[in-house]
Amino acid sequence: MKRFASLLATATLAVGLTAEPTSVLFTAAAFTKAQRNSSIPTDAGIFVRLPDDGWVPYGPKIQQVSSAAVDPADASRVFLACGNGIVRSTDGGDSWRLVTGWRESDVTALVIDPTDGQKVYASSGWGLLRSLDGGDSWTSIDDGLSERFSRTIVMDEANPARLLAGTAGGLFVTTDRGDWWHQVKGVPSAHVLRLRRGVDQPNTWLAVTEGQGAWLSTDDGNAWKLTAPEVASANLYACAIDPHDANHLAVGGWGVGVWTSTDGGASWQNRADGLPSPNVLTLTYDPHHPGRVWAASFEEGLVFSDNDGATWQDGGLDGSLTNDLGFLPLTVTPR
Amino acid sequence: MKSPFSFRLVPGLLIVGLLAAGPLFAATPPTAPLTDGPLAAAFQERRQELIAAYLERTDPANLERGGLHDVAVNFAQGTNLAWARGRLRALTESPRGAMFWMYPMVLVMQAGRDNLAPEDWAVIREAWKTYFPYRGDTENHWLMYYASIYLAAEVWPDLPGSEWYNGKTSAENRAEAKAYLLESIRITTAYGRGEYDSPNYIDPFVSALTLLAVWCEDKELRHRAEMMLEIDLADFAVENIGGVYGGAHSRIYPKHTIQPALAASSALAWLLWGQGEMQLNGSALIVALSGYAPPTILQRIATDRSESYVHRELKRTRWRMRHAGPESIELAGHRTKEVYKYSYMTADYMVGSTQGGLLQPIQQQTWSLNWHEEKPLGIASTFFALHPYYSPLEGTMFFGAEWDTVVDLIARSKVDYNSPDKLMSGSPHEQVFQHESTVIGLYDIPAGTTFPHLNTFFSRDLVNRTEDPSGWIFAQGGTTYIAYRPFVAGEWRPTDWTGLLAGGAGAWISSGHHEWGTGHQVYVSESPTNGYIAQFAAEHEFESFAAFMAAVKALPLTFSLQPTVAVSFTTLAGTTLEGTYGQTPRINGEPIDYDAWPLYEGPFLKGVRGENVLELQHGQETRRLDFKSNQLTTSVSPTAR
Repeated sequence: MKRFASLLATATLAVGLTAEPTSVLFTAAAFTKAQRNSSIPTDAGIFVRLPDDGWVPYGPKIQQVSSAAVDPADASRVFLACGNGIVRSTDGGDSWRLVTGWRESDVTALVIDPTDGQKVYASSGWGLLRSLDGGDSWTSIDDGLSERFSRTIVMDEANPARLLAGTAGGLFVTTDRGDWWHQVKGVPSAHVLRLRRGVDQPNTWLAVTEGQGAWLSTDDGNAWKLTAPEVASANLYACAIDPHDANHLAVGGWGVGVWTSTDGGASWQNRADGLPSPNVLTLTYDPHHPGRVWAASFEEGLVFSDNDGATWQDGGLDGSLTNDLGFLPLTVTPR
Repeated sequence: MKSPFSFRLVPGLLIVGLLAAGPLFAATPPTAPLTDGPLAAAFQERRQELIAAYLERTDPANLERGGLHDVAVNFAQGTNLAWARGRLRALTESPRGAMFWMYPMVLVMQAGRDNLAPEDWAVIREAWKTYFPYRGDTENHWLMYYASIYLAAEVWPDLPGSEWYNGKTSAENRAEAKAYLLESIRITTAYGRGEYDSPNYIDPFVSALTLLAVWCEDKELRHRAEMMLEIDLADFAVENIGGVYGGAHSRIYPKHTIQPALAASSALAWLLWGQGEMQLNGSALIVALSGYAPPTILQRIATDRSESYVHRELKRTRWRMRHAGPESIELAGHRTKEVYKYSYMTADYMVGSTQGGLLQPIQQQTWSLNWHEEKPLGIASTFFALHPYYSPLEGTMFFGAEWDTVVDLIARSKVDYNSPDKLMSGSPHEQVFQHESTVIGLYDIPAGTTFPHLNTFFSRDLVNRTEDPSGWIFAQGGTTYIAYRPFVAGEWRPTDWTGLLAGGAGAWISSGHHEWGTGHQVYVSESPTNGYIAQFAAEHEFESFAAFMAAVKALPLTFSLQPTVAVSFTTLAGTTLEGTYGQTPRINGEPIDYDAWPLYEGPFLKGVRGENVLELQHGQETRRLDFKSNQLTTSVSPTAR
């Protein structure tokens, strides 16, 4: 399926974006602010930020898209986590195919084994999924879970058989590629809304929950402790670990804005001043600008800060509800 | 009482027998036998009348107005073809609406195929290639989606994936769609619909199933769809009062709570069974254009109220994503909960209920009375009470949105969702039970609940409203007497629902909100523990309204509010109903056996849970729909009921 020969995409060439895979800021979003007397957002899908600060749609325009993933070993293989299921491209976004059937729905996040791109995992509103054939077929991998609803799944890239998934019943881990899940001790049996792992220090993991606090592990997910106690009772939808320095952490949530730490979670600072809204849904650090953190609020747009949240600058996408925010090597090409 | 029998003085079982013998003076006396030939002929006349009405509203000079249904009817009839081609292109240029675009497009393709030019087909083909519709988040969405993609993939049976929006080949799309559709039918005929008995959402169910029943080339799927359509229509027919889908509903819109005859179900009742008045409606048009001929037994079932009867059904909640609760069950890999439906049908009225609780998101109507009107349009022929409840708990139970955004997002399209004046709502703090013409509601509302009050709707079309010092409130709607006893006295509030109607029904509510939404009153009773009794009777059962009031006031009634609400009440029929919030209610001392609740049980429709076999019966005629073997058998037995 050829998609999106948009004028905006054409414009990306004019500003110099090449066809080479490059890590770009993306968001999975729905534009809900202007939605009136309708259950349908005015726009939705994956959006990519161009070097000139503009945003363009990427991939198929689908009403409900929660996240995207790119095969670390092959940037031409792109997966979208959608309400309809999982949509895959094997040619860098030139064509797309819905690779799931009617049993798979409300997919929220995806991870791909960096050592074997045939192994792909997904979280969804109805449970966890696994493909062993590159996404051609999928099976449920829910054994051991107390609740199936899951928004977030992260792979231990050094040991791809080990994955952690946040569910409505707490944080779970598998060491056998999802054949069985065990509840992670030390993290409450609450809804884990987002899970992130450090890049330069992969032993650092950060999980945030619905009203039960933020939880930090510095020993690769074995022991966990409450962090950011100032916002422990808030619904925390967002967390991020600076890929350049895992001592730089950020959490965000409903009514509490953004809080950051520069000492590995020992202390936290309220960075809500200057945010367009105290209701933050997604966060990410920028791998191309050390120290830059991006935050997306509920329907009031994206902002970024180059001074650890002391001040914020407009990042666009006013009116959006973001489900995910991050960096992926997505290629935006004219069609 | 006009009746020579004193209901209160005879034993309960005998009373049931007397009631089953039927009222002495029905509001709608039995008419001449409804035989197949005249019924079928009259149906064909109504078909043509509806099609003509759609054609009449087409303005060939206006390319800005008209939906795909209008386009389809013009292509089908070969009229206004230039306009139809123009609108087809306008509606296909940038499609939106997902499955709400897909299924009327299939109607255009199938009903209009004789007049579609190659250029028209090219436009349609391109849309199926490039527009990626959302599959939606409800049972009706999925049915429309998969019925549509199945039929479209039969029109182009051998296309590669590159020719479809989702990258799947025609064969792959058909296989996926057929698998879902068969599974959906299997679940529904074994455990009931999740999106059950909706006066509005019967529209997409009938639309999608009719398209399959008539135009599907796969014999197995076509036959199962036709049988499923028949069951959905029978499900409506048995709870039909003068063309209105009465009782309890999974989903209902504000305008339909106030004027039940405005719903799609009533448009279908007119077309299929000649009840009420003609209304333009998409599903009715699809039936009319398709040539589908409903079995005439359905009309006999829908209109025969010569004997009063109890009808019970088992349904289920929509799949629960989170917060499923310990009472939930696992079915087909999803969490759900049984819904126990109970309806009491008479010639004058029907009253139906479910057990209360959070059975559906947003639009649940736990119980309602609908009184008979020969021409119900324009009449608020209904009575009901509810606890107006909303919460992120409910929203996240059924939808994937976040706890903090879900209520806001729901209210974008359902503006009444978080209003204290809302007209429909499930509540986790509600327990309802019913026996024949009596409904009892019990409420235990925790501190901190947003709205701790009950709303009871008193239609502007009620007469003889009387507040008695005993605490009973009496009224009359049509030929139905109403007695309502709130446990905690409340206050009358004139309420203007104009705004809620304008925004509470989605974008397709367009006009007349003030006309429908004003002049009614709501009785508001506020208390953490609360409850009520609603007792109904037909006018002909009593000498006068005063006699009805006197009889009701004499009925034994005790209730208490602490430590929780509890009640004991003996009905007009002499049956003792007892309930304590959180406990199983008792009828004449026996607890209601919810575990034994049948899939369908009533004089006209029967089915056993889990068996996928359903039986329609009227008089000596029986139709047995066996979904396991995909067989329909009919029989006429001189020994049948």
